[in-house]
Amino acid sequence: MKADKVVEFDVALVERARRGDAKAFERLYRDHVGRVHGLCLRMTRNPDLAADCVQDAFIKAWKALPKFEARASFSTWLHRIAVNTVLEKRRGPSNAEIAVEDPTAHEEPTMTFDTPVEEEELEAAIESLPQGARDALVLCGVYGYEQSEAASMLGIAVGTCKAQLHRARGLLRDRLERGVR
Amino acid sequence: MNRRLTRVDELKRDIPPGRDLWPAISAAIEADKAAAATPPVAARRRAAWLPVAGMAAAVGLVAIGVLIGLSFAPQVDTPPVANTPTYGSPEMMPAAYRNQRDALLIEVQAKLSSMPEVERKKVASSLATLRRSIDEIEAALGRDPANALLQELFVSSCQEEMRALTAVRDSGSQET
Repeated sequence: MKADKVVEFDVALVERARRGDAKAFERLYRDHVGRVHGLCLRMTRNPDLAADCVQDAFIKAWKALPKFEARASFSTWLHRIAVNTVLEKRRGPSNAEIAVEDPTAHEEPTMTFDTPVEEEELEAAIESLPQGARDALVLCGVYGYEQSEAASMLGIAVGTCKAQLHRARGLLRDRLERGVR
Repeated sequence: MNRRLTRVDELKRDIPPGRDLWPAISAAIEADKAAAATPPVAARRRAAWLPVAGMAAAVGLVAIGVLIGLSFAPQVDTPPVANTPTYGSPEMMPAAYRNQRDALLIEVQAKLSSMPEVERKKVASSLATLRRSIDEIEAALGRDPANALLQELFVSSCQEEMRALTAVRDSGSQET
């Protein structure tokens, strides 16, 4: 199904779900759960915690449906709720990271390797990244969000997001021992 | 099968959870629907907002109270008191804000220690009430993170607290 068709389909389902149709919401869940879970799993690195976050995110989404604006993307809105849920669950003194702001950094979110890398190896390298760098890479690099969108989702400055992407690129280069453009 | 990739965005975006999460979500939705269907809905919604509105009013009143109290408070040197109250940290605010607030709190604790006992209790209690109000708003925001009104209320309450803390810190210096 083409992307615009998916969006139209989502809009119709969202409209039904807003009127209290749980079946329509279940369909939305089935269509989006894989992507939301992938996002939560990569951010938390913990399957049980990721599942909790997914569950909570969908429950929050159901409750917040009356506030959802139909012109926005349901997928982006849902991801924002999921990211917020992950941040809430991991919130604590040990997770505090000092933001490194570098407004001069120009970071391309797309990362290309000069020689192919095995999927498992890449997943493991991403998993080993520090939290801030991993969050920025997952949202921008894997899920294709603009840096400004990712920064807004994570509650950080765009400069910080760019700096974290820069950091992620350098660390991936070291850990995968290959060029990353 | 282990694919070989040349770009990060070639990674799978969809990773289904190991178990079906829908039954638990569905149960929560049914509970939510049942709660929403209990009449009178409008009154229940109003009632749910009352604590938040009350907290917002309390934040404003307490901040004003602190400022007025300090304007008329006599500045008398008293020995430092070890057990002045401390306040929770606003975890939802950016790191720069938290650092600024932490630094301010240290100065405020020192200022409170030098206040007469009656005045110190009054100001400390007002600041604690202010912090409790912010914690309540933060908790409500945790339950309803997309609520723009709560977000606005949270930010303005934190600003109000910073103003009150600054007023406490600067209260002696204005008169010297």
